[in-house]
Order: sequence, then structure tokens, then C-alpha cells
Amino acid sequence: MSIMQYNGGCLVGMKGKNCVAIASDRRFGVQALGLSTNFQRMFSVNNRLYYGLAGLGTDVQTLSEKFRMSVNMYNLKEERDIAPTTFASLVSSTLYERRFGPYFSEPVIVGLEKDDTPFICAMDLIGCINFAKDFVVTGTSSEQLYGMCEALWEPDLEPEDLFETISQAMLNAVDRDALSGWGAVVHVITPTQVITRTLKGRMD
Amino acid sequence: MARRYDSRTTIFSPEGRLYQVEYAMEAISHAGTALGILADDGIVLAAEKKVTSKLLEQSASAEKVYVLNDTMACAVAGITADANTLITYARQQAQQYLYTYSEEIPAELLVQRMCDLKQGYTQYGGLRPFGVSFLYAGWDSHFGFQLYHSDPSGNYSGWKATCIGANSSNAQSILKQDYKETGITLANAKSLAVKVLAKTMDSTTLGSDKLEFATVSKGNDGKIAFHLFSAEEIDQLLKDENVAQFQEEDS
Repeated sequence: MSIMQYNGGCLVGMKGKNCVAIASDRRFGVQALGLSTNFQRMFSVNNRLYYGLAGLGTDVQTLSEKFRMSVNMYNLKEERDIAPTTFASLVSSTLYERRFGPYFSEPVIVGLEKDDTPFICAMDLIGCINFAKDFVVTGTSSEQLYGMCEALWEPDLEPEDLFETISQAMLNAVDRDALSGWGAVVHVITPTQVITRTLKGRMD
Repeated sequence: MARRYDSRTTIFSPEGRLYQVEYAMEAISHAGTALGILADDGIVLAAEKKVTSKLLEQSASAEKVYVLNDTMACAVAGITADANTLITYARQQAQQYLYTYSEEIPAELLVQRMCDLKQGYTQYGGLRPFGVSFLYAGWDSHFGFQLYHSDPSGNYSGWKATCIGANSSNAQSILKQDYKETGITLANAKSLAVKVLAKTMDSTTLGSDKLEFATVSKGNDGKIAFHLFSAEEIDQLLKDENVAQFQEEDS
């Protein structure tokens, strides 16, 4: 029984051409018992920066509240929006502060930088940042997601194509994991808008 | 005679006064005027900037009016550096409340937190009090739009319209005469604010470089909006109230 597999759930983030996408499943359960089909594990920092947290449910919620607090203070003091790389550092240092009693949660961050360059990264539970060039995965079905992404992802996908790619990667990966699935949500972020779609997947 | 009792903040004088607190209020009476007016659909905060120079980088941060959180803003009068410390404290308190309860802090509660801090400096530690007075403009789901005033002693009260800083007693009496008890809209409040400032400000001409003007109101989407007026918007407002160029009016 690993604490990171107690509640289940997974996330994937991908880079496209002048866009990024992030997707998560919606299952929340206690080991084998599924309890919720609409657990929120993705959050928005602003309309150009989204992040998701996989792992223990209570830490997902507490961390999202902590980040909301920190980002609010940042916005008030700096009088500007927080940049993706800066937010990633904020998440990393918040996690490392608890190096010897960590939050059991592994984040994925996606966004657009000031000049609209796509940005994605993921971290382990103590804040080691992985600045990927293509895609990032986390959660109980991370291995499956790695396989699907490696097979389906190609560089410079347009927003609509990126949506299809990330959706197929998510839906098929979670079908091979008992603790993930029960629906999925995808956010596609472009310089002009954010499109959010809920996927229809297997509810078993 | 007072000299023996004013070197320490934490002791009373024989007449039962706290001299350091009174001296702090004296400091504030030399600072730029700030006024607040409560309307049915929002609150106006207007202030006179004391530090004006052509060399000053205008686009950099505000001097008198600050945002505290998504539902509250404040205007300050007094020692700006003291104000900055207190505003950072208020912002932290508001976020800590949000983190604990996932709800925005009620307006009066944030005022109380600030006042509890200020009061501490009049009773413990031997440090001088903060030389700032605040006007808080905020909204919460319990009491709607509210306006509060707090002073260096840590005392606060709720107001319909009030003024702090230089010439505040003057402005206060004008407000007392002109403030309508019921049915006051944000537009009414804005023009009243401009009229009162025009009558009480030290300088002969009112211009956008000397004023900070802001409103707290509910947007069409139901969310509380803080709007800090740009220089052009202030000029337009002054024009609308016919106080733009004082010298043009042959009064």
C-alpha cells in the first residue's frame, strides 16, 4: 500500500504550436472503492497558466489552497501576473520546504510565457523540476501515459490536433489503470483563449 | 510638563492621555487628504497626493490607495512607510483567512485585525505607534458595501462618509451637509467626492497628477471590481464636475 496510490488519479501536459494542453481524470477513491466522478485536480492560476496535482487527495486540496494564497500575495505585491517559470519555482520551493515530511502530491504545470512561448513542466513530490520539451505525466497511470504520449505526440500540433492527441493519450492510458479514469477534463490554452472540454470515457 | 511622559508609548500621562498616540495623529493631520463615501452600489475613495513632481515616475505604484484583496481596498493618510508595512500585514491576514476558510475575509474582521495590531503598539514593546490612518472600502456577503476608518490608537468605526488627513475637519463638515442619507448612487458619490476635494484641497488647481481616485463596486458579472482611475479618467471626471481649471472660473 503506497500512499501515492491511495486515492488514484493522473495528469498529462503537452506542448503544441503556440499552445499547451493539460488533462486530468476525475476519479477519487479510497483504494479499490471509487467515491467521486468529479474530483478537481486541475486549477488555474490565471488564464495563461494552469496546473494539476496528482497523488493524495487531501494534499491536492491543501496545496491548491496554499498556491492560491501565495499567488494572490504575489499579484498584490508585484502588481503583475506570475510567470510560468516563476510559479514553477514557487511550487518547487513549497514542496521542498517539507523535504522530510512531504506533501504526497506530484504537480504538472502548463502555460504560456509572456511572449506566448509554450511552457510545461512536472515535479516529484519534493520539488525536483522536470522541464520537458514535449510532454509531462504524473499519477497512478503515469507509465501508461508515458507509452501513449511517446506514441502519439509529435511537435508543433495545432490546438485542435493537440486536443485530440492529449485526449486519446489520457483515455487509453487510464483504461489500463484501475485507480484512474471515471471521466476526464481537458484544458487547451492559446494566446487568445482557453477551451475546456469534458471527455466521454469508460466509467468502469 | 508633558515631556516627562511622552518618551514612552506604553505609559499614561497624569491626565490619562497617551501622548505618543496623539503625536501620531498629529503627524497624520499634515498628510494628504483622503476621503471615502459609501453609496448604495459601491464606495468611492479619493485622495490628494502630497508628493508631486514632474520628475516623479507616475506610472509606478500608488501612494494613497491600495488593494487589499478581491473585495477590499484602502486609502491611507500619514507616514507612507508605516502604511506599507500595515498594508502588507493586512494582505497576509486576508490571505491567511482565505486559506483557512476558503471564503474572503469579512470587511469588519480585516479592520479588526489591523486595529488589534495597532493597539498592541500602544500597550506593549516600547515601540512607537504607526503614524497612519486608514479608510477601508470593502464588500462582504454579510453586510454588503462598508466603509471604515481606523487610527493609530487602534480604534475604528464604520462610516457613511468620512475624511482623514489635512483639512479633514473642513471636508467632514461639508460632507455632513451634502451627504444624502438614502438613495445615493456611485455616480452621486463620485461627484460629491470631487466637489469636497475641490473645496478643501490646499492647491489652487485640481489636476489628475495630484489626485488618486478609485471605486469599489459590483461588476456585471457579480464580482467585486476595484477601479483605480487613470489620469485621463480623473481629468474627465473633473471636467464633468466643472472643477478642472480653477482659474478658468471667475469666482
